Amino acid sequence: MHLKSFAVAALAAVIAAGVASRLPAKAPVPQAAVAHTSLKVGDTAPDFTLLDNKWKPVHLADFRGKKTVVLAFYVLAFTEG
Amino acid sequence: MQAYQADRQKLEAADTVVLGISIDSPAANNAFAEKLGVTFPLLSDMNRKVLKQYGILKLYNVEKDEYEWAQRTTFVVDKQGVIQHVEEGTSAVNPNSAIAVCTTLHKK
Repeated sequence: MHLKSFAVAALAAVIAAGVASRLPAKAPVPQAAVAHTSLKVGDTAPDFTLLDNKWKPVHLADFRGKKTVVLAFYVLAFTEG
Repeated sequence: MQAYQADRQKLEAADTVVLGISIDSPAANNAFAEKLGVTFPLLSDMNRKVLKQYGILKLYNVEKDEYEWAQRTTFVVDKQGVIQHVEEGTSAVNPNSAIAVCTTLHKK
């Protein structure tokens, strides 16, 4: 190992140790830990029934054989997107 | 959601309906729909059942507390009930690729 890369590795180790010592014993789960959907193209869309904004139930399977459906999951009402 | 409303003619031409879904109450979603002028349904997944089914329940840290609501995600489901397109995160805000998939499906 070259002296320079050794120095970089040693510095990284010192920084990592420093950061680790500052973390609480039970660190909060970071957002990056969130699982992404395991559903993929070719899977059957899980069926559901949910209330729409007029309190009427909407059943995904009712569109079967009739319409293509875009399911647009958004974060919260009154936010962007 | 506004972008889907703006593209409603393309969606109708592709024989496609849009369902917006969030954890908000029907009352909140209705106020949101009225504010945006959205005419497609906004669905309430208040118990987060569908978010769990679809694997897109995301943990958010707000003011030292933790909350779970949706990761921004778009799925296109064809007329046979099969998923034809999945888009997660900020890119899912733009509906163009989802609409392109719907248009292609319609031409088949």
